[in-house]
Amino acid sequence: MTRAWSLGSVLLLVLLHLATTQGQSYEDKRCKCICPSIKTVDNTTLEGTDRMLIIDNVPPNKCNCDGVILPRIAGKIKEGKGQEICPRCDCKYENRNTTIIKVVVIIVIWIISLLVIYMLFLMCLDPLLNKRVKANYQEHMNEDDDTAVTVGNGQDMHVRDSNVLNRVGHQQDKWKRQVREQRRNIYDRHTMLN
Amino acid sequence: MEKFPLKGTTNLSLTSTVATGQHPLSDHTSYQAVTSKTNSKPAGTAADRSARISTTSLAHPATTSVPVYEADEDGMIDITPVNGGLSNPNYPYSTNGGSGGVGGTSNRQDGVGGPGGSNGSSSSSGNGASHSSSIGGGGSGGGGGTAAGHDGMSPTHSSRFGRDFHHSDHEGISFAGMTDTSDDIPGIGQYEDFHTIDWQRDIARDRMRHRYIMKKRQDSFLDLLKGAHDAWSGWVCVLLVGLFTGCVAGVIDIGASWMTDLKFGICPQAFWLNREQCCWSSNETSFDSGNCSQWYAWSEIFTSSREGFGAYVISYFFYIMWAMLFALLAASLVRMFAPYACGSGIPEIKTILSGFIIRSYLGKWTLIIKSVGIMLSVSAGLSLGKEGPMVHIASCIGNILSYLFPKYGRNEAKKREILSAAAAAGVSVAFGAPIGGVLFSLEEVSYYFPLKTLWRSFFCALIAAFILRSINPFGNEHSVLFYVEYNKPWIFFELVPFIGLGIIGGIIATVFIKANLWWCRFRKYSKLGQYPVSEVLLVTFITAVIAYPNPYTRMNTSELIYLLFSQCGISNQDPLCDYNRNFTDVNSAIEIAAAGPGVYKAVWLLILALAMKLIMTIFTFGMKVPCGLFIPSLALGAITGRVVGIAMEQLAYNYPKIWIFSGECSTGDDCITPGLYAMVGAAAVLGGVTRMTVSLVVIMFELTGGVRYIVPLMAAAMASKWVGDALGRQGIYDAHIALNGYPFLDSKDEFQHTTLAADVMQPKRNETLAVITQDSMTVDDIETLLKETEHNGYPVVVSKENQYLVGFVPRRDLNLALANARRIIDGITGQSLVIFTSAQPVQNLGPSPLKLKKILDMAPITVTDQTPMETVVDMFRKLGLRQTLVTHNGRLLGVITKKDVLRHVKQMDNEDPNTVLFN
Repeated sequence: MTRAWSLGSVLLLVLLHLATTQGQSYEDKRCKCICPSIKTVDNTTLEGTDRMLIIDNVPPNKCNCDGVILPRIAGKIKEGKGQEICPRCDCKYENRNTTIIKVVVIIVIWIISLLVIYMLFLMCLDPLLNKRVKANYQEHMNEDDDTAVTVGNGQDMHVRDSNVLNRVGHQQDKWKRQVREQRRNIYDRHTMLN
Repeated sequence: MEKFPLKGTTNLSLTSTVATGQHPLSDHTSYQAVTSKTNSKPAGTAADRSARISTTSLAHPATTSVPVYEADEDGMIDITPVNGGLSNPNYPYSTNGGSGGVGGTSNRQDGVGGPGGSNGSSSSSGNGASHSSSIGGGGSGGGGGTAAGHDGMSPTHSSRFGRDFHHSDHEGISFAGMTDTSDDIPGIGQYEDFHTIDWQRDIARDRMRHRYIMKKRQDSFLDLLKGAHDAWSGWVCVLLVGLFTGCVAGVIDIGASWMTDLKFGICPQAFWLNREQCCWSSNETSFDSGNCSQWYAWSEIFTSSREGFGAYVISYFFYIMWAMLFALLAASLVRMFAPYACGSGIPEIKTILSGFIIRSYLGKWTLIIKSVGIMLSVSAGLSLGKEGPMVHIASCIGNILSYLFPKYGRNEAKKREILSAAAAAGVSVAFGAPIGGVLFSLEEVSYYFPLKTLWRSFFCALIAAFILRSINPFGNEHSVLFYVEYNKPWIFFELVPFIGLGIIGGIIATVFIKANLWWCRFRKYSKLGQYPVSEVLLVTFITAVIAYPNPYTRMNTSELIYLLFSQCGISNQDPLCDYNRNFTDVNSAIEIAAAGPGVYKAVWLLILALAMKLIMTIFTFGMKVPCGLFIPSLALGAITGRVVGIAMEQLAYNYPKIWIFSGECSTGDDCITPGLYAMVGAAAVLGGVTRMTVSLVVIMFELTGGVRYIVPLMAAAMASKWVGDALGRQGIYDAHIALNGYPFLDSKDEFQHTTLAADVMQPKRNETLAVITQDSMTVDDIETLLKETEHNGYPVVVSKENQYLVGFVPRRDLNLALANARRIIDGITGQSLVIFTSAQPVQNLGPSPLKLKKILDMAPITVTDQTPMETVVDMFRKLGLRQTLVTHNGRLLGVITKKDVLRHVKQMDNEDPNTVLFN
């Protein structure tokens, strides 16, 4: 478990490093304004189906019609009409953090791939290595599968399974047994979680 | 008197005069010492006692289980007591002993009690070391050996206080739980899988531990620090739970929204962005469903066209394929790694919080697989939500983190305080509603909820919401996608449609619950249950095929809810907002307008979506993938509400002068807000499904930030609950608890029958009650008893003839203690007497006795056989009992376990009592 933790933390650090060093092609802040089309003001027709979306990168206090829209449409619109369109516009200042999104998505992809690989390993390769598992299973049969006992016998186990690999294998066998039990409860006997 | 040194200041003064400031804390740290103290008269020296008991303890090595009582009609027992009253020599706390034995005497008794080198260890485990107790939990055998070594140094003559000094050193470690503990019997105080916990016993253990730490605090600065650590560990634990829950929720939100959009296309420049984020800074004015040039639909990648029949087919195909892939992954990961991660988890959490052990239900793998699985299954477009599983995930985090603090990790009753707080944090992050989360924990899931837990839940929910809000997973400054802000008034008359929505919601909820239960039962008992992965794939396929053509089912359900909740403003250009209106000022009220053709089309699509979602959710909930119920229920209600709202709006537009609108609609303002109806409808269906009331309303108004809608929401929730209760008794969670036969004693139900404890208790007439005598059974006898019977605990009585109750010993503890004694203590054979008294028998022949007083619960709850069951059920609910002992005339008659009570309740309600499966 500790190995997994350290591995995870190293991975995380690498990801963070990647995420921060790479240039950010995407902005994290925006001011998004939606207005009716200019035509509604110009021609005074009520044909207002298509709208105008303006996204700009301005400070929050500038995120309003005067700061964002009027400079953009200054040429397209007659003088004085600008003040007419402003009250119909809806401006929102939003921010996000693409770094977090990136790190999270990459972590999620990693976790899912690791789980899938491990699952495929357990499904395909593990039956081949089953003999070793069987032996270990026999060896640890008489032990209580309670965690308290495992903690309690930490010293003994340290002597017996001085080898880290063995300990991991033992933990894995215990876990497999638990999962098998869970599977029996849920999928075979249907005593739980129906 | 030194036998109970934890109580009373006289002890302290005495010891401080005798010894060097070290008080003889610790002959009995297990809480039984204190409880027995409360029973006892403060006299009688240990020496005197032991002498007297040793005279009787050699008698009656009765092994066969004789008929314990023969009750006549009155329930009388015709066992005549050999000795009664205070003159009973078996009664160890009688007042007629001598007074004033000093510690040295009793200590010497300990030392002399057993000869030889093994003596040290045996006496240490039996008496002297009983303080290195079960409370620290899970100690190592090696630690026990060390303790014995300390004993061996001073077996006969050294000052007991010196010895105690060594021991308290050990204890300091074990109680603070920093290192591995020196408990001599590992696993005592834990429970077997699928067993009910004993709240009273656990709370008493914690009290003992707390008292010990309080006492120790004066000793050294280190102990003071340990005491302080102990005092704040609850807050630290919930702080950590809140932090982790917020982070995990953020990961799930971001991951799920990314994978959901993966069904539609990809953002090649930055593949980790979903569609909305991909088009974040796109300045294009095209509004067609949020697409922009950076975002590539799958059809665009393969046929380089976005429109047209071919593109539609390819998109359809990819949608189904991705959905199937995600569903396959979710189902097989769940099946492979953590089957417990399937389902919503709330029924099980309710059961666990009511005092039930489901091992590894809240474990690491469940956490990982549930988090990953819920992302996958939400992304698969199945009709399910991630809010219920969020509660399970938070509870997993609470459980895992509680192991950092032995105060909670080793004590099941205390652990449930953390779990309650974690459940609050789960709802808090699921809906961005911290107060709603606390109330949800209080109203729906928790069983034992003292004020302390309320405050901790509050804090935990706060932290979790804060963290999630900082992560800002949706880029909308809120922790849920469908946060809407409302500030529109409602007309008094609108209460009528709101209540109408409540009634519709209750009916929809009842239909859903009944159909879902029927389907789950079918799955449980038919062959369907043998194909969990295929079932998931099939349902996903059908869902995807039906969902894609309809834009309202194609989109993510959270987005649909957001769309239905929100008002039609200028920024909203869905067909649902196709009104013939002209936007003049975004700040002024939106005027009421006639619905355009888009609205009518949208309404029809929404009605189709309603039918489809209802049917698919019935088949989805209960599948073997992580699946929650909140989002589909909210969506069902929101669709209903929106449709009703649009109808009301058009009514108000066409007939603004009707009296019901009391003139408020005549001005041309938009007096009816369909979005508000959607919200009320959502609350109604969710309330009908889960039967929540207070927490539901608070969650809903935290979602909308509008306090002024409390009354409509309350009206709808209440109407829905009434309709739901009238049509079907149970909410979905209770129904699932009943379906699975979990031992959940609902504190909401009342028990209104006139049965007595004697009718319920085991054993029934003509059967024998398996008991253990306090000092006359051998190890072999007890092992035979354990083999022949399957009870989860055994009452300890004075003797077979004198069935006066001494205490209660759980089966697991007994098993562990015997196994441990055989392994560690030399000289324990099958013929060793097992002694549950504190006295040391003078016995030179035969093997040395095994003292098991420390595993004995000397304060079992008892009732008399004439106690009405109403009272007994109340005791089980309010005290959280695991069993109660039934006495008659002071003599033991039988046992009532929680299972007996549950079966009895079922029987009285004319249900099949055999559905109660677990212990």
